[in-house]
Amino acid sequence: MTFSIQALAAPSRTNEPRSTGSDISVDSDEELQAVSSVKRKKHAAVITPGELVTDDPQWMRGHGTAATPGSTAILATVAGTLLRTNKLLSIQPLRARYTPEIGDLVVGRIVSVETKRWKVDVSAPLLAHLPLSAINLPGGILRKRTSTDELAIRTFFSEGDLLVAEVQSVYQDGAASLHTRSLRYGKLRNGVFIRVSGTGGGGSVVRARRQVWTINTANGGGDVDVVLGVNGYIWICKHSRGELVASSEEAKKMNEITRMEEAVSESMYSNRNDEIPPQTRREIARLTGCVKALVENGIRVDEEMVMAAYHASLEPDGDDVPMTMDYDEGHETHEYLGGSRGSRVVAAAVEATKG
Amino acid sequence: MPPSTLLSPSELSYLHSSLSLDLPIRPDARSPTTFRPLVAETDLLPTTNGSARLCFADGSEAIVGVKAEVERTIGASSTSSDVFARGEDGDGDTKMQSAEEEMNEERRRLARGKGQDSWIEVTIDMPGFARDDDGVVVFLAQMLQEGLVADEGLRDRLWIGWGWHWRIYVDILLLTTPNSYPLPLLSLTTHLALLATRLPAPISRIDEDPLFNDDWDAAEPLYPPSGSAHASKPPFTLLVISVEDNIFFDPSREELAVADAVCAVTVGTIDAPVSSGKRREGTPKLRLLSLRIIDPPARLAAATSGTEAEDDQGAWRPARGGMKRAVVGKMVKVVLEVGGVGEEVMTGLEGFHDG
Amino acid sequence: MPLDTSTYSLALLRLDGRRWNELRRMHAQISTQPTADGSSYLEMGNTKVICTVAGPAEGRKAGGGGGTGGDANAMVQVEIGIAGFSGVDRKRRARGDKRTSEMQLTVANAFSNTLFTHLYPHSTILITLYVLSQDGSLLAACLNASTLALIDAGVPMSDYIAACTSGSTSSYNNNDEAADPLLDLNGTEEQELPFLTVGTLGAGEKVSVLVMESRVQAMRLEGMLAVGVDGCKQVKEILDDVVRRHGKRILLERVKI
Repeated sequence: MTFSIQALAAPSRTNEPRSTGSDISVDSDEELQAVSSVKRKKHAAVITPGELVTDDPQWMRGHGTAATPGSTAILATVAGTLLRTNKLLSIQPLRARYTPEIGDLVVGRIVSVETKRWKVDVSAPLLAHLPLSAINLPGGILRKRTSTDELAIRTFFSEGDLLVAEVQSVYQDGAASLHTRSLRYGKLRNGVFIRVSGTGGGGSVVRARRQVWTINTANGGGDVDVVLGVNGYIWICKHSRGELVASSEEAKKMNEITRMEEAVSESMYSNRNDEIPPQTRREIARLTGCVKALVENGIRVDEEMVMAAYHASLEPDGDDVPMTMDYDEGHETHEYLGGSRGSRVVAAAVEATKG
Repeated sequence: MPPSTLLSPSELSYLHSSLSLDLPIRPDARSPTTFRPLVAETDLLPTTNGSARLCFADGSEAIVGVKAEVERTIGASSTSSDVFARGEDGDGDTKMQSAEEEMNEERRRLARGKGQDSWIEVTIDMPGFARDDDGVVVFLAQMLQEGLVADEGLRDRLWIGWGWHWRIYVDILLLTTPNSYPLPLLSLTTHLALLATRLPAPISRIDEDPLFNDDWDAAEPLYPPSGSAHASKPPFTLLVISVEDNIFFDPSREELAVADAVCAVTVGTIDAPVSSGKRREGTPKLRLLSLRIIDPPARLAAATSGTEAEDDQGAWRPARGGMKRAVVGKMVKVVLEVGGVGEEVMTGLEGFHDG
Repeated sequence: MPLDTSTYSLALLRLDGRRWNELRRMHAQISTQPTADGSSYLEMGNTKVICTVAGPAEGRKAGGGGGTGGDANAMVQVEIGIAGFSGVDRKRRARGDKRTSEMQLTVANAFSNTLFTHLYPHSTILITLYVLSQDGSLLAACLNASTLALIDAGVPMSDYIAACTSGSTSSYNNNDEAADPLLDLNGTEEQELPFLTVGTLGAGEKVSVLVMESRVQAMRLEGMLAVGVDGCKQVKEILDDVVRRHGKRILLERVKI
């Protein structure tokens, strides 16, 4: 089908809890259950703004909570689930904008260029900063920064450029300061950008063991890198040797200063794409579809789920009618992972990860 | 006209080269004529004559409410001779039902050519456009109104009798900040709302002050449904882009950014009883109402930054010059041909409305 | 006179069949628009409102609707769009409409005091409200819809703002000593009777919004306010239920995988 339109789910249905399953409890920690002196047992998992979390003075309040003046009570300020770290109580919101934390791997887009720094959109409440001093300069890491570099700031990054970076520090006001002082970070090329919502909730990127990995794709697509920014910005591109995602061994090999210099100066800030064969482009498009389908179906986006969805999408689908039109008939079918086909792929992926 | 999408040079060149392959690869692996799935709802507002809500896959959403008011026709002269000329040719004793039908038939015959463009009013509310007389808003409203009044059948159906007519207000509410050309979204939502629009059935004669049947179930659809003698459908506008020699329907924001040319194709039905036996019963034949070429965002951007003559080969540059005649022809053909995209969209929308 | 006092005193039923202390059917949904930071859809009887929240995001848009907050705090901006088809008769409101700007300011003030705006310096929280259909209690519906959308956006707040209207069964001129207070007025009742809009913080007695634009004897005010605050408690329960159900569904989905 080339044109599909479906009815908005009836309001009465969407408002009902979808499953009548037993009570859910996200935290099996019994002590925690005891802490949240929530009257309604049925909803124990979700805490809403204004709700009393505890009035026991032994607990400290963290994010998503507030103290009431003149009492020991801790109240929730967002809707979410209770998270306990030692004596610290915080509420993890069901959904919220990305809040930068030190060490996060993020994908960002330059929105403005200033004299000594760039401002980067990382989907956080405030724009992140990338100081000129926090990037690798062509000609080696150890080179001194000069005023010439300041004048040529636009040759490194200019408006619209995408980059992968790490959050180095977070300012008082919550804005992040980034750095790209590693060969794993820097300008992004040879691929496509996808934007999903940030941490938390279903259908978003979650902090995981690995945010960056390489897939050996099917159908002769070669190696493809996936970069899942914790902030919900995703980059999928053709793998190029040793550059973006140098695995630890590769990084060691690269450790000779001379080679590093070479790699840095060669292509670090180029806007030019490598030669990318159509097979690779097709697999990149398939991966994009997988990520989008995961998001649309409210499933978390991490390495495990993306890989599962990718493998599921390679399986032929019985219900799928070849989506060709008159004038491009005879060409191979297109793997559009939208609508019902996407849901089936995701369902298969969820099934696969369970087993 | 739309907010230009900020993309990095390498993204642009990746997109453009993927789309200009012999077998083009769209970023989400759709075929050139595949539409992203839509979600819709009609008749959601009880205080309107017809309403619809439509969500595009990119999250953009619009609501259209159609309201009809009875208005005195300025400068209309009631000539009684015209009125009484009727009656004589009837058989005399027909049943009540058929007398009413006859009256309607009579009204239809007399109405021909009496409709006026000004009886249809289209207004658009867009977030972020603080002024109602903003150029963009006026332009879009004008384009949609043009399509509606191009159909003489609609205008004539608004004629109630001597001195009285319906005035149709089509109020369009765009709920999301427009991140690409909102025209197709607005047009398709308007189409659905008009399909759902019904006008109270007149029970007065054409020379009397208008009186209506207050039973809503007896109200007549503004657009007679397929299968009836005067079947017609509201027009709709599709956005088609071209990249090199390829054309793409329902372009995403990223695809628009690299389009060589952007076309708004408005399609309507031919308001004539189905005559040729070749076509399916009750399927109105499509005709091209208008074709507008819109400046692609890339070219607007190029106009401002075109002087930068960097020798960054491989980076994509927006195409210069006009649109190829053959490409325009291809667009029109794919939209209008039997079983083409236009018919597909029309039946898809109608099927949704009926279901 | 929509509320015929004589029949009301006989059966104690209003024109739409409600008793004096009954709310209309209230229905709400949360997270209705995937692309917005936060969104909600709310119906109070036949009043229907869609709300979207954008932000907190860096930058200040000049002009626009009612905005409050210094640079150390996030600025809360509200835009209300009333659709031409929302009333019984089609009416197009100009952008700078006085009533609309006043409502914008009321909503903005209410939320800049309830949201923890100090957590988001130099940023803006934009609340956009679309009125699809109006049948009384418009301001209350806007406040409730905004609360839900802000919770969906994960913006910290000290508590819900729950709002409703309350009125009195006879007009100012009638000066009826035995006039009863009424809860949650519909459009026709609002046109004839004195009424006020009250919004409370959570289910408590703390009033955060109180707007009254009609004349009424001072002695009747206390009763109206009491009924209104009581109604807010009911509204809070309904809103809270919507949020909890939504949260439960999200958690279920998370557990599923």
